[in-house]
Amino acid sequence: MALSSEHIDFIIKDLNHRGIIIEEIEAEILDHVCSAVEDRMNQGERFQDAYDRVVCAFGQTRGLLDTQQKVLEAEHQNKPGRMIKNFITIGLRNVRKQGFYSFINITGLAVGLAACLVITLFIIDELSYDKYNTKADRIYRVNNEIKFAENYYHITSSSAPTAHALQQDYPEIEATVRFRSYGSYLVRPEIATESIKENRVIWTDSTFFRIFSVNVIQGDARTALAQPASIAISNSLAQKYFPNESALGQSLLLDEKYNAKITAVFEDMPRASHFHFDMLIAMVGDWPVAQEAQSTVFLSNNFQTYVLLKEGASSRALEEKFPGFLDKYVGPQIAQIFGKGFTMKQFEESGNKYQMTLMPLLDIHLYSDLKGELEANGSVTYVYLLTAVALFILTIACINFMNLSTARSSNRAKEVGVRKVMGSMRSHLVRQFLTESTLITLFAFVVAVGLAYLILPFFNDLALKQLEIPFQSPLFYIALLLGVFLVGLMAGLYPSFILSAFNPAQVLKGTLAKGSRSGMVRSSLVIFQFIISIFLIIGAITIQRQLTYIQNKKLGFEKNQVLVVHDAYALRPNVEVFKQAVKSIAGVENCTVSGFLPVENSDVSRNDNSFWKEGKTPSTENLVSIQDWRVDDEYVQTLGMKMKVGRSFSPEFPSDSDAVVLNEAAVAQFGLGENPIGQRIATFKAQRPDGSPDPTRLSTWTVIGVVENFHFSTMREGITALGLFLRRSDGFVSIRFQGKDTQSIINEVESAWKRLAPGKPFQYGFLDDDFGKMYANEQRLGKIFGLFAGLAILIACLGLFALTSFTAEQRTKEIGIRKVLGASVPSIVLLLSREFGKLILIAFLLAAPLAWYGVDWWLNRYTYKTEIGVGVYLIAGLTAFAVALITMGYQSIRAASNNPVKSLRSE
Amino acid sequence: MHSPELLKGTLQTIVLKVLKDRGRMYGYEITNCVRELSDSRLQLTEGALYPTLHKLEAEGFLKTETVMIGKRVRKYYSLTAEGRASTRERVSEFVDFIRTMSNVLQVELG
Repeated sequence: MALSSEHIDFIIKDLNHRGIIIEEIEAEILDHVCSAVEDRMNQGERFQDAYDRVVCAFGQTRGLLDTQQKVLEAEHQNKPGRMIKNFITIGLRNVRKQGFYSFINITGLAVGLAACLVITLFIIDELSYDKYNTKADRIYRVNNEIKFAENYYHITSSSAPTAHALQQDYPEIEATVRFRSYGSYLVRPEIATESIKENRVIWTDSTFFRIFSVNVIQGDARTALAQPASIAISNSLAQKYFPNESALGQSLLLDEKYNAKITAVFEDMPRASHFHFDMLIAMVGDWPVAQEAQSTVFLSNNFQTYVLLKEGASSRALEEKFPGFLDKYVGPQIAQIFGKGFTMKQFEESGNKYQMTLMPLLDIHLYSDLKGELEANGSVTYVYLLTAVALFILTIACINFMNLSTARSSNRAKEVGVRKVMGSMRSHLVRQFLTESTLITLFAFVVAVGLAYLILPFFNDLALKQLEIPFQSPLFYIALLLGVFLVGLMAGLYPSFILSAFNPAQVLKGTLAKGSRSGMVRSSLVIFQFIISIFLIIGAITIQRQLTYIQNKKLGFEKNQVLVVHDAYALRPNVEVFKQAVKSIAGVENCTVSGFLPVENSDVSRNDNSFWKEGKTPSTENLVSIQDWRVDDEYVQTLGMKMKVGRSFSPEFPSDSDAVVLNEAAVAQFGLGENPIGQRIATFKAQRPDGSPDPTRLSTWTVIGVVENFHFSTMREGITALGLFLRRSDGFVSIRFQGKDTQSIINEVESAWKRLAPGKPFQYGFLDDDFGKMYANEQRLGKIFGLFAGLAILIACLGLFALTSFTAEQRTKEIGIRKVLGASVPSIVLLLSREFGKLILIAFLLAAPLAWYGVDWWLNRYTYKTEIGVGVYLIAGLTAFAVALITMGYQSIRAASNNPVKSLRSE
Repeated sequence: MHSPELLKGTLQTIVLKVLKDRGRMYGYEITNCVRELSDSRLQLTEGALYPTLHKLEAEGFLKTETVMIGKRVRKYYSLTAEGRASTRERVSEFVDFIRTMSNVLQVELG
């Protein structure tokens, strides 16, 4: 017999009551139960007894539920794809449904990720320097650290014979190469008349191509640079001078005196290299530099020396042999000057230092900031700083995500409850939420790559880089995907565990306090975000302050209104004529010719020499190494230096050719006392044939004046001893001018140049610009830091914006009731802002000491530094507070000015 | 009655073979059929049968069709081509297994 409709209804109801609710399974079990009951009733049992027996066969309620669960598991066991598809569908639906929050999440994350991406590219680039050299791990540069009396040098260069002696004495050295820089050259092909200034020129040995992996396109790398008067040039230089012909075998004229034959053309040196030369000149033959390169004197360190070790040789072991090397070669030569008593051992025992070290090629770009670098290097500090900043920004963005997810957990608590009742396991829920966070991260990554693509050109300008997003590299996509999962996990893990832990019974009864559960954690995260933001703001302000301080510090000379004409030697023999011509131009106050300027760049000469106070013996204790500057009689006036006592050079005193003007630091170091005028200092006059100084022939100089200390290197260093000597050097013509019409003065100077140095390029600059360029690194750092500090606070505020709007949304009814009872709009705005205001205050209190520490650390690198007062901290704190207030204010005011009728009516 | 433990590993094979011999069947019918074939010595529990059916379906060995029977819905299972092939394999594998077991246990099969 068939069951009646009532019986079937009863069974359905009972099964539902017992928890069989998945439609498909319910139908199947129903059919089974009905069939079994029918059979039993056919055998004469009553309906109720039959039904009880059948349910018993299933194992009562527990058995029924077990069956349902097992069926579900069996269905999904081999179809993980279906579950993921489900996760993704639901995830997408949620992303769409909560458009506003998804937008905030994706924007915040995308901006953060874009910043990270750019910084990562920057760091990868910094780390890739010199890696193009196939033998990079075996190449080392010989550094020297010398300290005696008050003098200290840590330099990248060695003496001329060092390379040769090293290779002879130590078999583990496979090859050596030296560089000698003589600044720029004016270059023209033999047949042309116009010269072009080339900056990237170096004198070097023929082993260059053996050690560095610079590809030779034309010519033979093995024989190039082996012959006197031969040069190798870069491909771009070859294109420039010989556009439609082969450059190989052609000749170039350097400074009108060196006629050099091109023996090789090499590929332009890679961007990520610590040197970029366009022209290599062979250091053999009888040109002056080549002669200097053959010198046997170990006492003047002018050659950057690189060694290539044999495979398996240890640089550490080699370094340990260097004291013996110094004893063998350097010691005897110093003893010749100071007398027989001198030994290296005694030299070091009296607190002095002479040390040769090997610096790995791959360390040079990031770790080397010594005297005589071939180019300005990067700095590992900046790499660390930027890595930290990138992580900070990413953290802030992830925190936004976490906060929004947990804050809005109440909205999803019901969903969680229902899912759990439906038999969803906790792991399913965790996966569901992780899928959602990964989806959002995926969107954010796509947007981030687009953003990074747009930002990169600006960043490149800022950081002086040529970074590109490596769209062709499969590794890039793998890294991106990894990033998606990692960030998705980072941002999604905490919320997903919070959400999936809800107890369904409580949630569905509605006892769970709305969104307040993780209030503590959320507050700490907001505090953390603002600590980072405030820290970055203080950092950016500090850098800016220090830069302003440097620009405005009393330098001891007047850097404004000075025009500097470069390469004055091109005027020879008309230098003096040019000077007089310039002086006659209206508006020109003064004019001086000298290669020495109180700024630092590759063209400005520096020359140091050791002197002692006349009457003392030239021993290591008495020697003072001073900057030995060759200037003319108008130098001090033109550059606006102040005389402290005495006078500057004057053509009225012919005896000035034996005179010296010292700075205050030099007077103190020589120990010339209160009245230095008229005292004398001495130095070795001549060199013996082998190039070492001759202790029997001295020259003396009379002090005629003392110039106030002026800064001639960066503010990172103190002012060292310096002497001005009336001698010829024609690197620059510096012109102090007056009046506003700078352009017409430049035009007149240029026409004088064209007349007196036809065919030579007229190049000029301003002293204050050159001065500014010394701090280009700091300026870049300041801008980059400012940019990312801005980004950090932007993302943090984005999160705050969403959080406030969420709170306002939650408290709509409360606000409505308050308004009905007479609360004013401002009091409600205050109510809403107070909570987050407090957090920012706490963040400020925590960030201040951290920032103080960081600022102190950074400023300690400068001998001359600005004071960072309480004001800066207050400004940073107030900025953060103000920005946050504006963000919150919008939402608060909107919520507060809502009509209470609207918010209360729906109850 | 045989212990359910012994039945565990062979459940899928039994379901597949029964369906192969009888064509389409619904769940309750399968329990009955197995009981008859085994002279009531094998009793498939519902708690084991349905998960097995759904698993085989998810793996693509079974296909289903539903028929309305008055107020209720009946779900019929039948073999797919893949299921048919797999049945043959599993049955012969099981026969093999019995032979091995008889050797291992040193008993003659009747």
